[in-house]
Amino acid sequence: MIAGLLGRLAPAGGPATEAQAPARRRLAFLFMGIGIVALLVIGGLTTPSFLTLENLLVVIRAASITGIIAIGMSYITISGNLFALSAEELAILAACVFAFLMRDDYGLAVSLIATLIFAAGSGAIQGGVISLGGDPIITTLAFGALFRGIASLVSDNKNILLGTKAAEWLGTGRPLGVPTQSWAFVILTLVAWFVLQRTRFGRQLLLIGANRPAARASGLRVGQASIVAMTLFGVCCGMAGISAAAQFGLAVANLFSGLTIDVVAAVLVGGIPLKGGQGSPVQAALGAVFIALLQNFMLLHSFTTGWRMFVIGSLVALATIGFHLLQKRQA
Amino acid sequence: MDDDPLVLRVSGLTKSYGSVAALKGVEFGLRRGEVMALLGENGAGKSTLVKILAGLEHPDAGQIEIDGRPARLRSPSQSLQAGVAYVTQELSIISALSVAENICLGGRSQNPIWTASSLAQRVKPYLELVGLGDVDPATTAGKLSVAQRQLVEIARLLSRDAKILILDEPTAALSDVEIGKVTSVVTKLAKEGRSIIYVTHRLGEVFEIGDRVTIFRNGVSFEPIAVKGLSVDTLIERLLGRRLEQMFPARASKFGEVVLSIHDLVAPGLSHPVSLELRAGEILGLAGQLGSGANAIVRAVAGVAPPTAGSIRLRGQRLNPRDMRDAIRSGVAYCSDDRKRDGIFAVRKLTENLTAPSIDKITVAGLINRRRESEMSRRLAEFFEINLSRLGSQAGKLSGGNQQKVALGKWLGIEPSILLVEEPTRGVDVGARAEIYRHLRKLADQGLAIIFASSDNQEVLGLADTVATFFRGQIVRVSPATQMEHSSLLRDVTHPENLAAGREAA
Repeated sequence: MIAGLLGRLAPAGGPATEAQAPARRRLAFLFMGIGIVALLVIGGLTTPSFLTLENLLVVIRAASITGIIAIGMSYITISGNLFALSAEELAILAACVFAFLMRDDYGLAVSLIATLIFAAGSGAIQGGVISLGGDPIITTLAFGALFRGIASLVSDNKNILLGTKAAEWLGTGRPLGVPTQSWAFVILTLVAWFVLQRTRFGRQLLLIGANRPAARASGLRVGQASIVAMTLFGVCCGMAGISAAAQFGLAVANLFSGLTIDVVAAVLVGGIPLKGGQGSPVQAALGAVFIALLQNFMLLHSFTTGWRMFVIGSLVALATIGFHLLQKRQA
Repeated sequence: MDDDPLVLRVSGLTKSYGSVAALKGVEFGLRRGEVMALLGENGAGKSTLVKILAGLEHPDAGQIEIDGRPARLRSPSQSLQAGVAYVTQELSIISALSVAENICLGGRSQNPIWTASSLAQRVKPYLELVGLGDVDPATTAGKLSVAQRQLVEIARLLSRDAKILILDEPTAALSDVEIGKVTSVVTKLAKEGRSIIYVTHRLGEVFEIGDRVTIFRNGVSFEPIAVKGLSVDTLIERLLGRRLEQMFPARASKFGEVVLSIHDLVAPGLSHPVSLELRAGEILGLAGQLGSGANAIVRAVAGVAPPTAGSIRLRGQRLNPRDMRDAIRSGVAYCSDDRKRDGIFAVRKLTENLTAPSIDKITVAGLINRRRESEMSRRLAEFFEINLSRLGSQAGKLSGGNQQKVALGKWLGIEPSILLVEEPTRGVDVGARAEIYRHLRKLADQGLAIIFASSDNQEVLGLADTVATFFRGQIVRVSPATQMEHSSLLRDVTHPENLAAGREAA
C-alpha cells in the first residue's frame, strides 16, 4: 500500500546533490600532500641517497606493509571500534605460520591460503568478542599478547627458516619494476575504497560507525559488520606477515617492531575521525606513505630508535589533539 | 512595571556561522523580576542569543549591558560572575554524585575541605527555594526523577546567586505534571526579584508563567509583547509570520480491517495485561506520563522490550519479535523518542539516512545501485516535504523538525504495516509540528496503521482517532478522541484514585 503510494509520487530526476567532502578530510589531504612533498624535497636536498631508486624502493616497500594493515585498520576505525592493537602480533604470528608451512613443504599455494585463512580467523575471533560487547582496545590488546605469546612459544624465539626460495618473489619480486607489496597495497586501496563507497557492506559499516544505536534500530546487522571488519583486518595482517617472511626467508617473534603505532599514526594523520562513520581507506593509505617516508628520512639521518619512536609518538599525540580541536571549532 | 530599569540590555547583536547569519542585529531587554519567554521556530536565533549571554558563543558585533554597564561575557565563568546563569536543554546532573554535591559542583567553595553535613547545610535553602525541601541532600542524584533533576539544576544556578536565570527548554523532556513543578518554581523566583529568560516550544507555558514574550524569526527579534490579553491564535500568528491554518488535520472517516491485535499482553513496564486493536488507517494515541506504560506497548511491539506473555497479531500473523531487526522484517516501523540517540545518523547524508532501513532494496548483488538509491531517497523526501537540495547534506545539520521528518520518513522505504512513534514532535517547533501531524495523517489515509505515545495531551487529543490513557502500567480507558475531554484525559493520566472509576466508565 505504501509502495503504491510512493509509486504515484513524481519520479526521481537527476542524482542527489553530493555532499562537499568535510573540511576535515580536505585539510587532511592537503596536509598529507604537503607533508609527503616536503619530506621528499628536504630528504632529497639533505641526503644524496634519499631519492635514489634503491632507497625509494625500500621506502615504497615499507610504506606498503604499513599501508596494507592501515587499510584494514581504517575499516575498524570507520565502524566505530577505534583501533585493533594486535596488528604487529597478528602479522608476526601469520609470518610464523607461513614459515612453518613452507618449511614443512606444503607448497606455496597451500601455505599462502592456509596462512590467510588462519589470519582471517584470528581477526574474526577478536571481532566476535567485540560484537559481544568487548571493548575493542582491551580485546585487541589481550589478543595481541596472546598472539605474541603463541608466536614465541612455537618458534622458541628462534628464526624459522623457510628453507626454500619458492616464496622469494613474493617478498622481493618487482613485476613491471614495482615491488609486489606495492601492487598489493595499491590494488587493496582501490578495492577498499570501492567496497566502502559502493557496496551494501561498506554502507552498513559507515552507518554503524556513525551511530550504533540508530543502526541497530534500523535493522542493520551491527555485530556482523564488526566481525567482518576485523576479519578483513586479519587478512591484511596475514598479507603483511607473509610478505615479510617471504622477503627475509624467515620468520621470528620480534619482526615488525613498532608497526602497530605506525599504523595507528597513519590512520590518525590521514584524518579519519576516531568517532567513526566518516573517512576513507585512501586517507589511511596516504597516511601510511607519509609515515613510511618519515621513518626512512629519520633512518637516513641516523635518528636512533629512541628518537624515531619519540617523533612518531609525538605525531600521534599532536594529530589526536589537533583533530579534536578542529572538531570542537566546527561543532 | 514599565518603569522598571532594565537588568539586561542587548543591542545590535550579530552572529554568523560561516555563511549562515544566526543573529541579524538583535535588540533585547529584560526587566527586574520578570519572566521573559523566548519563542521562535528552530533556527530562529533564540538559542544563539542565549548561548552568547551564557558565554558559550561570542558575538560578531553588538553591545550587552548588565545593570547599565557594558558586560564582557567571553566564557561561562565570566557570565556567571556578571550574574547570568544558564540551564541547558540537556541535563548536566551527575547521577553518581549526591544532590548536595551536584548543587555545589563547579561553584567556588569557601572551604577546600567539606563534609556531607556541611554541604547539606549549605544547599538546604536552595533546595527549599525550588520546592525540593523534602529531598535529602545526601541522596544520589541518579535516584531522582527527571523533573527533580531539572529542579536540582535550577538550585545549582541559585547557589551562584545569579540575578539573571536562563532556562533553555527546561521542560522538553518532562510530562505535564512535572512541568507544573518547574513552572511554579520559576514564577516564585521571579516574584523574588530575579529576572528569567525562558526559552520554550510549549505555548501553554508562555501563558502560564510569562510576563512578556519576545519572538524570534530568521535571526531577528521583535518588540516584546505583554502576555496579558494575548490570545493563542495571535501568538501563533506572530510566531509564524502567517496564520497557522490548523494545527491538526481532519480525522479519518472510516477505517479498514484490523491490522494489529494485542491480547493480554504483558511486557516490561506493564503491571496489568493489555488488550488493544488497531485498524488500517487508524491513528491510536497512547497518553500517559513517563513510566505509565504507554511506551511499554510500543516498545513491546517494536521488539525493544519483548513481551513476556500474551499475544500480538499483525495482519493475522503471530508476531513475536525477539529484537528490532525481527520486528522490522515483519513490517513494524518504530521511531523512538530520542532521535539523536537512535533516529538519525548525524554525520551521514540525508540520502543515506533515508535509505538505511531499506538498504536491501537499493542493493543489487551486494552493490549499492545509485539510481535506486537516489529514487528511493527522493520519493521519501518528497512525501515528507524535505528540501531535495539538502539530500546531500549531513542530517545533523538540519533543524529539529527536519531531523524528525528524516527519522520518520526513512521508515516508508520498508513499506511497513504499522508505524510506531514515541513523542512524534519532541523538540520540534510549532510550524514543523503541524507539518508532521499532516504527514502522519496522510500516511494513515493511505491505509497505514499508526500508534503514537505522547506526554503532550493536546497532541494526543488533536491527532489521534482513538485515545488510550495509561496510568501506572495499565490502561485506564480507551475511547474515540472526539468523545474525550481534555480535563478527563488529564485526570486519567494523573490521579490514581480515578483508576477504578475510569475503568467503569470504559
